[in-house]
Amino acid sequence: MLLPPVEYVRPSSLADALAVLEADEGARALAGGQTLINVMKARAAAPDVLVDLAGLEELRTISRGADGALELGAMATYTQLVLSPEVNESHPVVAEVAETIADVQVRNRGTIGGNVCSSDPTNHFLPLMVALEARMTIAGAGGERTVSAEEFFLGVYMTAVGPGELLTRITLPGGRSAGFSAVTLGADGTCIVNAAAGLNGGAPRIAIGCVDAIPVRAGEMERRLGGGELGEEAVREAARGLGAGLDPPSDVHASAEYRRHLAELCAARAVLQAAERRRG
Amino acid sequence: MIEDSTTVIPERVETEAPQKGFMGQNVPRKEDKRLVQGLGVFVDDVKRHGMGYVHFVRSPYAHAKIKSVDVARALELEGVYGTLTGDEVAIHTDPFFQISSPPGAHVKDYALAVGRARFVGDPVVAVVAATRELARDASELVEVEYEPLPVIVDARRALDDEAPILHEDAGSNMSWHGVYEWGDLEAAWAEADHIVRIDELHFHRFNSTPLECDGCLVEYNQGVGQWTIHTNNQFPGFAAIMMGPAMRVGLDKLRFVTQDIGGGFGNKITTHPQLVACCLLARKLKRPIQWTEWRTDFHLSMSHGNERWFHEIEVAVKADGTLLGFRCKQLDDAGAFLRYEPLGGVIWAQVAAGLYRWRNIRVDFTQVVTNKAPVSPNRGYSRMQQLWFTERLIDIVGHELGIDPVEIRKRNYIKTEEMPYETPNGCIYDSGDYARCLDIALDLVGYDRLEERRRDAESRGKLLGLGIGSTLDSGTNNFGQSQLINPDLQFSGNNEVATVKLDLFGEVVVTLGTTPQGQGHETTAAQVVADIIGCTPDDINVRPGHDSFWNSHAGFSGTYASQFAVTGLGAVKGASEILAGEMKKLAAVVLGVTPDEIELAEGQARMKENPEAALPFMALGAIINANNAGLPEDLDVTLNARYVYRPAFEVPDLERKFGNLTLTYATQIHACVLEVDRETGVYEIVDYAGVDDCGIRINPRIVDGQVHGATAQALGAATWETFAYDEEGNLLTPNFYDYHVPHAMDMPPLKNGYIESPSPFTPLGAKGMGEGGGAGIHAVCAAIQDALRPIGKPIVVDSHNPYQRVWELMQRPEATRERVRVESRS
Amino acid sequence: MREPAAHKVVKVEVNGTVYEREVDARRLLVHFIRDELDLTGTHIGCDTGNCGACTVLLDGHTVKSCMLLAVQADGASIETVESLAGEDGELHPLQQAFSARHALQCGYCTPGMLMSAKYLLDNNREPTEGEIRKAIQGNICRCTGYWNIFEAIDAAAKGEVSA
Repeated sequence: MLLPPVEYVRPSSLADALAVLEADEGARALAGGQTLINVMKARAAAPDVLVDLAGLEELRTISRGADGALELGAMATYTQLVLSPEVNESHPVVAEVAETIADVQVRNRGTIGGNVCSSDPTNHFLPLMVALEARMTIAGAGGERTVSAEEFFLGVYMTAVGPGELLTRITLPGGRSAGFSAVTLGADGTCIVNAAAGLNGGAPRIAIGCVDAIPVRAGEMERRLGGGELGEEAVREAARGLGAGLDPPSDVHASAEYRRHLAELCAARAVLQAAERRRG
Repeated sequence: MIEDSTTVIPERVETEAPQKGFMGQNVPRKEDKRLVQGLGVFVDDVKRHGMGYVHFVRSPYAHAKIKSVDVARALELEGVYGTLTGDEVAIHTDPFFQISSPPGAHVKDYALAVGRARFVGDPVVAVVAATRELARDASELVEVEYEPLPVIVDARRALDDEAPILHEDAGSNMSWHGVYEWGDLEAAWAEADHIVRIDELHFHRFNSTPLECDGCLVEYNQGVGQWTIHTNNQFPGFAAIMMGPAMRVGLDKLRFVTQDIGGGFGNKITTHPQLVACCLLARKLKRPIQWTEWRTDFHLSMSHGNERWFHEIEVAVKADGTLLGFRCKQLDDAGAFLRYEPLGGVIWAQVAAGLYRWRNIRVDFTQVVTNKAPVSPNRGYSRMQQLWFTERLIDIVGHELGIDPVEIRKRNYIKTEEMPYETPNGCIYDSGDYARCLDIALDLVGYDRLEERRRDAESRGKLLGLGIGSTLDSGTNNFGQSQLINPDLQFSGNNEVATVKLDLFGEVVVTLGTTPQGQGHETTAAQVVADIIGCTPDDINVRPGHDSFWNSHAGFSGTYASQFAVTGLGAVKGASEILAGEMKKLAAVVLGVTPDEIELAEGQARMKENPEAALPFMALGAIINANNAGLPEDLDVTLNARYVYRPAFEVPDLERKFGNLTLTYATQIHACVLEVDRETGVYEIVDYAGVDDCGIRINPRIVDGQVHGATAQALGAATWETFAYDEEGNLLTPNFYDYHVPHAMDMPPLKNGYIESPSPFTPLGAKGMGEGGGAGIHAVCAAIQDALRPIGKPIVVDSHNPYQRVWELMQRPEATRERVRVESRS
Repeated sequence: MREPAAHKVVKVEVNGTVYEREVDARRLLVHFIRDELDLTGTHIGCDTGNCGACTVLLDGHTVKSCMLLAVQADGASIETVESLAGEDGELHPLQQAFSARHALQCGYCTPGMLMSAKYLLDNNREPTEGEIRKAIQGNICRCTGYWNIFEAIDAAAKGEVSA
């Protein structure tokens, strides 16, 4: 409803931003605000200082590396992703998924960095980053470090970004085709179950969201598929039993049983989509 | 056909059809100009110098003793103006009047929780501060010590011996109980070829979540003891009746002012507890008090729709599908307080028989309280539940006996030639043609191509189904039905008021007693007035909103229960006719002729034989208001007409529970075609038609708008919207994030049809409409049941069918089939 | 570098007028617009950023002003519903089309809806129905069922603004 008292600063450089975050344990980065402002309204979190990253233009760039990798600035908005020629050319699934997040107003403000840093299990980009083998670059007073997506997501609302640090960019290796499938609460709504698959020669990487604190790799399904053909029957057969290995939550939107069932379906659909993209 | 009966049939009103002028036209709405510019005045837009903002501290427990309340730390915060606690409320006010007879009569309900909190969100303390943020901050400094008590959430357990009792003074969780029985059930059951038994059906808890939440800005004039309550309460007549006695003041000391209201749908009727709290604060703190409800607080605490269980159901039916009757037990969950309840316990009886001709009905109705948000009217209030129930019965009977859903309806629908039709409980259905509406709906969804579409869907891995929802919107209540709940109540009939005057410079000014929330009252009222006094709607100034000080209201004034077209416009028509008569009288005196020789047209009163001899409205207004010397002494003309419309009702027969409860019945017949994904239970509506019949349509586009809105809300409730609670009484859908309402991309394609069966009982032949009957909810239920036939013939037993439930029906069809048994006699 | 502060002076252009005001850092932009600037056309319908009644244009893009702090708008240019009609009171084609097609009943969602519709048409002259739906997906309406709103936006796009 209304925020508790807070201080605000809008630094004009990354170094300044990191300095504030370092100096005050209760300081928190403000990216698009589409999650954090609501969390503060509900008084579920009460940072002392909001460090507005809006002035850090260097965090908004999207570019392609020589090796075909896609570099996304953490402050790139969903709308930027949707419209970016680079994204559409190298990782169209990122643009497609971005376009299904909530609505235009949210997409104009919400950022991919905010999406992954809030680490809400129902967020779209969590399983997708894992499936695409994203590399997450974190800056701190001492310099930069890079971790894998799987090392990045630590728990509900918890990531590898520590006090005094900021996620600055996400790097997606090139040459992948990918798929994403979700069942949502209404069109373009919150995900009830989602899954992403990335193909890079070999076996697909399959990650399932909404079923645990962090995205879950469908290891057994990946093993069954190996580097083989990804026809409909083979993929559905490989997904069979995936749900039994999960312990998803039950809530007002779905029971654990339904989530287990949907997890199998979304995983299969994501792989089939990736396979189709690779063919096409 | 009306058999011999003791009900009083309303007089057929001989309407001299107004000249075909603006009635029936899509006159552009007067309201739009300000609303599209953001210049509407909604309650949060109203500001007063020095006002204090209210934030309510609400109980986090569903049931708890309030051991102590300490506001000291809150009062210390700079910018806090003051607080109000339950103890103060208990001193300064009496408990709200209770509608029920004992035990419900003994429930004690106050503006704040007194001694106990009875639902999560129950307001316990009010804090007032200089800014919204400070009020919110201060609320966290209020210290309330609670002692949690056991919680009762499932209405089916509320009368168990071990169930915690919510209201000690009542001594029971029973709010009300009554048995309704009409016809001869014994004979009907003996005559039946089949008895279809259904163990349990459930209508779920949701409401219409108007986009604007409740609110008020209250000013207190200490010198004269007068409160001015700017608010968006949609039934000020009811609010005043509740508030005055509680506050120990006369009703005129409570001035209600509303202008624009951001949706009501019935959900803005029972805000009187918060209004009383704000009134007390305005007097105590000597400053204007502002309250705007948070979305979360609305979901937690305001006006949930009746959740109703149907048990031990039996339907008596003949081999050819003719329905003879039904019996059942109904259990209604009223939530923690009875704020408009238990009227829900009788209002359903307006449509006891649904659209069907069965004559033998028994309903054993119990209402209980539980530790959930209080229930009060929600669009389709209490009739929607009964109509869904009768539709379920007919659909399940057809399903089990192998009779086509269209055929069984046509066999049992009340026929148009039987109208006006007296139902088994003495309600008079005024007019309608259900079979015709059904045909139109089916045609619109391509019924003849259904099997072809089913096959096509199957080839894509989908199950296609068609469902019908037929409902009625009963409008213009006879409040005498409240006496069926409690014979000591002194309420009956209905009324609404309007004034129409001609001002000094010839301006036509209209005031209404209603509180529109988007129904276009200013526009339709202007259409009616224009036709009667001979000008255009643009010439007429209809004051927006409601103000008690206009003296243009009566005990039942407000906008609710689908009645404006009858009561509001009835009052407008009456006042306009008085004014027209006076204008002719005055013109006749001035022009030296008789009133019969005068006509009103084009903004003038003129001689029929010689239109050149004319007096413009301005001349008439000027004479009476400022230039009246020389007029005949006995000239009874003020050009300021006030009319109270009163429909012809009698108090029903309380013993037989028999009598006419509503004046009009609009029809809604909807057809839904949807496709279910076999793997996920996700379904998509691929075709949808709603056919409406509300008699003469004053402004067809406004009617269509209401039909659209009611349809969208029904579809939202069918698939997504539910106020679900956990076992501790926590609401799991307390905001728009979890309580998903339909957004633009969720809407199916919509086709609309209409017919007009004029009502013989109303001044304009129009019927109230706007609530709809929730037809869409049943259309979706029935379509799902039809689609899932190949997967073990599961029965849809709940009004709420999210994708997971559809998937479960496919996984375990026997779970619902177990609930239904057919006993056939040879 | 400026230090963190609990209050700030913000300079923001709203509907062509520049305002300079001191605000609490925690004040939501929507409250600043409604309470501080008395532009009450922008509405509040929820507390989780779902309903869109608070939609305004910020530097030319639609945003939900309940999920922005007033301090974040320092230096920005905002347009609210009050900017749509002409100086002489002539209604914007969208406003005319909404009225002509009965795309509003209570009018509470309408300001936000109009801003989203304007944003669509400013960037897409010939939207399909699917694009129209997507454009207003973030604006909840409980009265109309949206169907008339789709038609009104479509009509405005085609220049057909009367009934």
